Amino acid sequence: MVQKVLEVDDLKVGIKDEDGREIAIVNGINFHLHKGETLGIVGESGCGKSMTSLSLMGLLPAGVERHGGDIRLGDLQFNSFAKKDWRKIRGKKIAMIFQEPMSSLNPVYTVGAQINEMLLNHEKISKKEARDRALEMLKLVGIPRPEQVLNEYPHQLSGGMRQRVMIAIALSCNPEVLIADEPTTALDVTIQAQILELMKKVQDQLHMSIVLITHDLGVVAEMCDRVIVMYAGEIVEESLVVDLFDQPSHPYTKGLLASLPDIHEQKEYLSSISGVVPAPGKMPAGCRFAPRCSFAHERCKAAPPLFEMENGSKVKCWLYEQGESEVATT
Amino acid sequence: MKEEKNVLLKVDNLKKYFPIKGGIFGNKTMKQVKAVDGVSFEVMEGETFGIVGESGCGKSTAGRTILRLLEPTEGNIYFQGKNIAELNPNEMRRLRKDIQIVFQDPFASLNPRMKVRNIIEEPLINFGVSERSEREKRVLEVADQVGLTAAQLSRYPHEFSGGQRQRIGIARALISKPKLIIADEPVSALDVSIQSQVLNLMRDLQKEFGLTYIFISHDLSVVKHFCDRIGVMYLGKMVEIADKNSLYDEPLHPYAEALLSALPSPHPLQKKNRIILKGDVPSPSNPPDGCTFHPRCASCMDVCKTERPSLQVIRDNHAVSCHLYDSPEKLAVAAGEVK
Repeated sequence: MVQKVLEVDDLKVGIKDEDGREIAIVNGINFHLHKGETLGIVGESGCGKSMTSLSLMGLLPAGVERHGGDIRLGDLQFNSFAKKDWRKIRGKKIAMIFQEPMSSLNPVYTVGAQINEMLLNHEKISKKEARDRALEMLKLVGIPRPEQVLNEYPHQLSGGMRQRVMIAIALSCNPEVLIADEPTTALDVTIQAQILELMKKVQDQLHMSIVLITHDLGVVAEMCDRVIVMYAGEIVEESLVVDLFDQPSHPYTKGLLASLPDIHEQKEYLSSISGVVPAPGKMPAGCRFAPRCSFAHERCKAAPPLFEMENGSKVKCWLYEQGESEVATT
Repeated sequence: MKEEKNVLLKVDNLKKYFPIKGGIFGNKTMKQVKAVDGVSFEVMEGETFGIVGESGCGKSTAGRTILRLLEPTEGNIYFQGKNIAELNPNEMRRLRKDIQIVFQDPFASLNPRMKVRNIIEEPLINFGVSERSEREKRVLEVADQVGLTAAQLSRYPHEFSGGQRQRIGIARALISKPKLIIADEPVSALDVSIQSQVLNLMRDLQKEFGLTYIFISHDLSVVKHFCDRIGVMYLGKMVEIADKNSLYDEPLHPYAEALLSALPSPHPLQKKNRIILKGDVPSPSNPPDGCTFHPRCASCMDVCKTERPSLQVIRDNHAVSCHLYDSPEKLAVAAGEVK
């Protein structure tokens, strides 16, 4: 049995409107992460993937709260955490890299100071030792002339280099879980290829588990072992990455894959999903995808549970009530 | 072979330099950023010409310079045989009726204080359609073509989603019945499911009105899907221009090759041989000597460090700017004459 490093059970995140009603942004999701695994969370803007990752770090923005659910990291239960408990966990057990490397590094501190800050917070080491470790980290993430870069400021580095520094900071205390929220979205493709390569390399070296949040299915195919597809704050499909691309099950996943332009195939028109994602607070009753779904029928007025399929995938859609139904495979 | 098409737009040695000011009074030009540095290409009537490249390669600047939203530093732009680089502002204004632009960010390119109806109508007022009822009729017509309802016309931009705003932007470009539309990353800010809606719409409009597009994007798979011919830009220069199939099947320039190989594979089991480029794009204010790509190029030769290569046609509709193809033997191989 593979060890589960992270378990999330019925996580609910939401905001309160003026009348104090709860509006769910993330509506009861469950998932787990095995040791050494890369789990992808995909979905379009507003599906709740970033809020999920921020709640794992205890970093939800003001006004957004966790309304329920358990998060367990090894034998730690996050529920009763106070601010100072979070401080011990963040960076040490679970670390995060963000989308925008420019705005997530502090512009007035040197790169070295920002790595040291993390190390001195968590480890009982001297400043000298911290500096050596920082240098080692910069070498690990493949930064040229690391000695100089330690004394440079973020604005002196390019986007790809900044993202490498972010990764160096996140990995400096050797966390068990790394959360990468759109780590390559702001980067060019050639730099993206460099960073993805680097993430794979350090994962192998440090035996980390990664939660990779992205909207790019190409990055998912490249990096992940297992994938969760989110739509409007819910998980609609969970499967192994190969199954997701070979036999997507949920109509939303199918639509998403079909709307990607394929470089090897020439089509005059792309298929597309009609309509737009509903706004939080204006969610349709029943299945949230039903208004945009071409398979929608009477049943969809009630919310479907997650059905488990033969190959182990889980799908939140009535079409799969009896395993793989005929309607769905055609 | 298809029938010969007419050249709609010809760009000849286009340059756009931005000065970096310095000195005690800040009025001395210290250096120049060569955003676009000698770009030449032709766009045929009815085709979609794609410009791809990474951030900072000058593709957006090229688009804006063609429309003279930025004044070109040097070079000529012929639209239907007329050199628009020489037109005075008044003539240029009239010509923009025929060349329109759709911007990347549908949140920033629409005036938040104007109703959608007025946003779409504004170009008509600009181009002297004085009859109110006629303008009204035309707005409704265009709104219908891009899939906006009459009721939506009385709303403000903030009430729309990204995809719908981009439809408004397209309607505004379309209303003056242009011949050429420059689309500057029109779908980059959109989610994939919405992106395909907008691309399909643009294709429909192209068929219906015989539009010509210049499609600027960093997304290689979108460009492959949408364009007929593609130019690859690197550091202000066009390094390769080719028909899309020729380019994607057999890229000639080492940069184009690396760029295509960097695309994530579309399927997890399909692993590909990836060329990982070393380092970053150099600053356009201080480009390397010789071929601007040479510091990152795996097949760099001595000549690359000193001499700037020029664009040469290697095979049908496929031109590349690289010293690798200088020798006759290489040329023959690339042209498919020798295997």
